[in-house]
Amino acid sequence: MKGKKSCCCQKKKVIATRKSCKATGAGLSHYVMMETKKK
Amino acid sequence: MKTETKKNRAASRGRHFNTGNGPMLQALDIGHNNYAALVDPDTAFWSLVRKDKIADALAPGGLLAAYRRKAAVFAREMEQFRFGLTPSAVYFNPTDRCNLNCRYCYIPETMRRAGTHMSTENLLAALGILKKYFRKNLPAGMKPQIVFHGAEPTLNREALFAGLEQFGGDFRFGLQTNGTLLTDGDIEFLTSRGIAIGLSLDADVESVASRARKTWSGRSVFGKVLATMEKLRGYPNYSVICTVTRQNQRQLSRTVEFFHKHEVPTCMLNPVRCTRPGARRIKPADHEMSRYYLAALDRTHELYERTGRKIVVANFANILLAILAPQARRLMCDISPCGGGRCFFAVSAKGDMFPCSEFIGLPAFNGGNLFRDDINAVLQTPAFRKVTGRKVEDIEPCRRCAVRHFCGSPCPAEAHEMNGGMEQPGAFCELYEEQVRYALRLIADDKHEAYLWDNWDKDTVTTLEL
Repeated sequence: MKGKKSCCCQKKKVIATRKSCKATGAGLSHYVMMETKKK
Repeated sequence: MKTETKKNRAASRGRHFNTGNGPMLQALDIGHNNYAALVDPDTAFWSLVRKDKIADALAPGGLLAAYRRKAAVFAREMEQFRFGLTPSAVYFNPTDRCNLNCRYCYIPETMRRAGTHMSTENLLAALGILKKYFRKNLPAGMKPQIVFHGAEPTLNREALFAGLEQFGGDFRFGLQTNGTLLTDGDIEFLTSRGIAIGLSLDADVESVASRARKTWSGRSVFGKVLATMEKLRGYPNYSVICTVTRQNQRQLSRTVEFFHKHEVPTCMLNPVRCTRPGARRIKPADHEMSRYYLAALDRTHELYERTGRKIVVANFANILLAILAPQARRLMCDISPCGGGRCFFAVSAKGDMFPCSEFIGLPAFNGGNLFRDDINAVLQTPAFRKVTGRKVEDIEPCRRCAVRHFCGSPCPAEAHEMNGGMEQPGAFCELYEEQVRYALRLIADDKHEAYLWDNWDKDTVTTLEL
């Protein structure tokens, strides 16, 4: 299962990650989630 | 409105953290046995450092060198994300009226009882205006979003469905509804077109769910909403909002379990927006809500481990995204300035324009009218600029808070109505502190993917990994 606790990460001295993407500005407020999946 | 930058004439080469031109890192206890966080609030850079290695991490070398290489890029990302976006979505109210009388609604009772229905002709004209506006103002190939919202949009059924039918190819549509009036035919219409549907249910049991959400005559709608949820089982584009008050907070863990059992793909456990007095009367205390809320998040992980199926709590997932990939946020409340008036705006049943639905009951935030005024001019009115100009750098204590760009001090409507002004924080502060700490603990334990949508990062690139 992806994301399952890993004992090796406890040994890391530093954890730092960052991902970037296009800031499309498509975000909404906390009222409705918009997904793009089709039935 | 950008943050002001003065020319830096300091001779420092920036070889050390926290002095001269070196990166500034704030230390943050996250409540983890082994790790603490070091955060540069301005760029939203974070690192988790083993507690026995913090002195090493602050010395010239690995962390400093890695961050110095990226700091300017991260700063530009945040600047663009905070000040460089333009609207791509609209909250559209086809009617002011609602068949429910929820205690925490942000729309005044007089409007909900006897407000305006937008005519079909006007709704179609409005969508035509918006289509033309977005075609001119959005990059080619980017489809704008329209969320029909309320009040209860399905009360104006004819206009609503005419709009969905006629403009289906022009917008990505969403419908936020209480779900009590949807027929089988409506559901087939919506789901066959992939339209996002948001419902509301505040608890797993009727007696609690009905404390704040009920009809004008005080009747529960729990059974009707549940029946709609059953009809939507298996539909991936739907979510359920649970508005958290002090009347239902104790029920949160059982509520997420209930949602999971009903195969709700995404839920939101939104703290009640305290814009109006009715909502403020049932506001949960931050520390109390945090306890129940984090327990509910724990429960979602237990459910995932037990069944292999996720129930994503979207408002928390958004905090995680703010940390892992700031530009990949899906919701724009928890960023400063918020998305109101700059990423989206709201249109009332009369065509009046507000920075966000939350302001629809506040005439001072009416920036103009869709049928009469130029949209770009409305976005620059004082009514809108009060919201788009609100930033954490001007708010105490946010301006010195390490997590200010994971939180954003939402919401401006609450700040204005509850706390007395735009330079004030929103209704919840400690709840955000605790969410960020919890999120960082998950990352330290490599458990965070279980709280996010599958493939959430498919359009991202990794720009830093230590």
